[in-house]
Amino acid sequence: MQLAASGLRMPIGADIILHQQPDPEAVLLDGERLGRMFADTAVRFKTPLAMVRMDLELERNLLLRSLGIREDEIPKFHFSGGPSEGIRSIIESGFKAQLTPRLKAQLDAIRYVSGCPGLFPVGMSIGPFSLMTKLLADPISAVAMAGSGLVAEDDPEVNLMEKLLQVCSEILQVTIGAQLEAGAKAVLIAEPAANKVFLSPRQISKGSDIFERYVLEYHRRIKNLIEGHDALYMLHDCGELTDYMVEKLAGLKPALLSLGSSRPLWEVEPMVPKDVVLFGNLPSKQFFSDNIITVEQVKQTACEIITRMKALDHPFILGSECDVIMVPGREREITEKVQAFMEVVCG
Amino acid sequence: MNQLKELVMAGKAKEAEARTRELLAKKTEAEVILQKALIPAMDEVGELFQKGEYFVPEMLVAARAMKQAMTVLRPVFKEKDIQPLGKVLVGTVKGDLHDIGKNLVAMALEGAGFEVIDLGVDVEPEKFVEAVKSHNPIVIGMSALLTTTMMSMKDTMAALKSAGIRGQVKVMIGGAPIRKEFADEIGADFYGRDSIEARNFARLVVQNEA
Repeated sequence: MQLAASGLRMPIGADIILHQQPDPEAVLLDGERLGRMFADTAVRFKTPLAMVRMDLELERNLLLRSLGIREDEIPKFHFSGGPSEGIRSIIESGFKAQLTPRLKAQLDAIRYVSGCPGLFPVGMSIGPFSLMTKLLADPISAVAMAGSGLVAEDDPEVNLMEKLLQVCSEILQVTIGAQLEAGAKAVLIAEPAANKVFLSPRQISKGSDIFERYVLEYHRRIKNLIEGHDALYMLHDCGELTDYMVEKLAGLKPALLSLGSSRPLWEVEPMVPKDVVLFGNLPSKQFFSDNIITVEQVKQTACEIITRMKALDHPFILGSECDVIMVPGREREITEKVQAFMEVVCG
Repeated sequence: MNQLKELVMAGKAKEAEARTRELLAKKTEAEVILQKALIPAMDEVGELFQKGEYFVPEMLVAARAMKQAMTVLRPVFKEKDIQPLGKVLVGTVKGDLHDIGKNLVAMALEGAGFEVIDLGVDVEPEKFVEAVKSHNPIVIGMSALLTTTMMSMKDTMAALKSAGIRGQVKVMIGGAPIRKEFADEIGADFYGRDSIEARNFARLVVQNEA
C-alpha cells in the first residue's frame, strides 16, 4: 500500500536483466549469482520489490523429473493416466532428493536477497490450475466436461484432471513453502490459465462451479500457507477474464493483483476492493515491435493509466502486463519502452 | 440430420458417433451427412463463438464430437474417393511447445471439410518446407504463443522463400502475441485472431478470393 501510494512503477523485469548477463543459463543454476541478479533488477528499476524471475516450467520439471520421466521427454510429456502412487512419498519428503538444480538455485537466490538490506524478496510460483493444464494434452475438454456436469466417476478425463490438480496443489504447498522458508516475504502466484479459454463463461453463467472448485479453492489453500508465514499473497493472471473471474480473483484479497492487458485497469477497478493493490497493465508483450506499439504510445498509455487510476483513488503500481521477456534481436525496442514508462512525466 | 447437428453442437461425441452410424444405416449418403449436419454444426458453433455466446471450451468439445462422427464417415469417403476441400498444413513453430491454438485451428478446418496435416509442435522451418513439398497444401498455418518463439515464423517464411516454394502456398499465422502488423512485417498472407478467422481464410483461398 505504501509503495503504491509512493507512485512506484516497475516491470516484472528479471528476465531483462538476466539476458544482459554474458551467460544467462549459468546464472539460472547459481543461487548466489541469481540472487545478485534479482537484487540488481530491483535496484535497476528503483523498487524495493526484488521479484524472482517468472519461470512457469520449474514446478512441472520438478514433478516430471521426480517421477523419472526422461529429460528429453519432459518438454512434450503429457499424462495419459494418473501419476504413480510413488508421487505421494516424494511429495511428503519435500522433494529433498529430487530438487532440480534450477529450483535449488531459486531458493538460494531468495536466501541471498533476504540478506540484502532494503530489499523485499518476492517469490514466484505457477498456480495449481495452470500447472495442471501443462500436464494434460487436452485440459480444456476435461474441464469443459466437468463443467457440463460429468464427475470423475463417470469420465476418465475428468478423473485424471482432478487427480492431477490435487497433486499439483500438494506439490505447490511444498515448493511455495520452501520459498517462504528461504525468506520470501511475499509470493506472486501466476495463474494465467484461469481464464475464459480454459473455463467456459457460458458454463459458469449457467451455474457451474468450475471456477470455484478448480481455481479459487486451491488458491485459498495457498493464501493460507503464505499468510501463515506472515508473508503476502500476491496474484497474477494475464489471461482473458470475465467480470465474474476478476471479481472472484479480487475476492481472494491478494495484497497485489496483477492483470494482463486484456482489460484496461480502470475498467476492472470497480470490481476490486480498495485494499487490493492493482498492478499493471502496460501491453509489454507487444514491446518487441515498433510497428505494433511505439515508445510514444507506451508513454501515452502509461500516462492514461496513471491519470485514470489516480482519479479512481485506487492504490496501484504502474507496471508490465506480465513478466517482460527478452525477444532475441529486439532487446533495444523492449528496453526503450520499459525505460519510457519508468521515466515518463505525465502532464 | 438436425439431431446430429444438435449433438455435435452440444459436444456429445459418443451420441454423435452413434447417430452418424444410424444415418448411414438408413442409407443417408456420407457426403450429405457431412454437408447437411456436421459442417453446418461447426459453422453455427463458429458463429456463436464470434458472437461471444460460445467460448473455446464449447468449440473444442463440439469439434471433438465432429471428429468422432468423422471416424464413421472417413472410411466411406475413402472408399468412394471423395476428396476434401483442400489440404492445410498446421504447426506450432520451432521452440514453442504450445498446441492449444494450433489444435483449435486444425479442428475448425476439419470441421469445414479440409484435410489437415498437423506437424505438431516445435516445428523447424525445414520441416515446414519438406511438408509443403510432399503434401502440396493450399495453406500453411503457423502458431506461436510466446514472443520469444514467434520469430521462428520469420525464419520459416525465409526458408519457404529460399526453397522457391513461397509462391505456391498461402501462409496464415496466429497466436497470443501475434498481430496483423507482425504478419505484414514477415510477409505472411493473413493473420487470424482465432480459429474461425483461420478457417474463413482457408475457405477464401479455395474460392480463389484470398
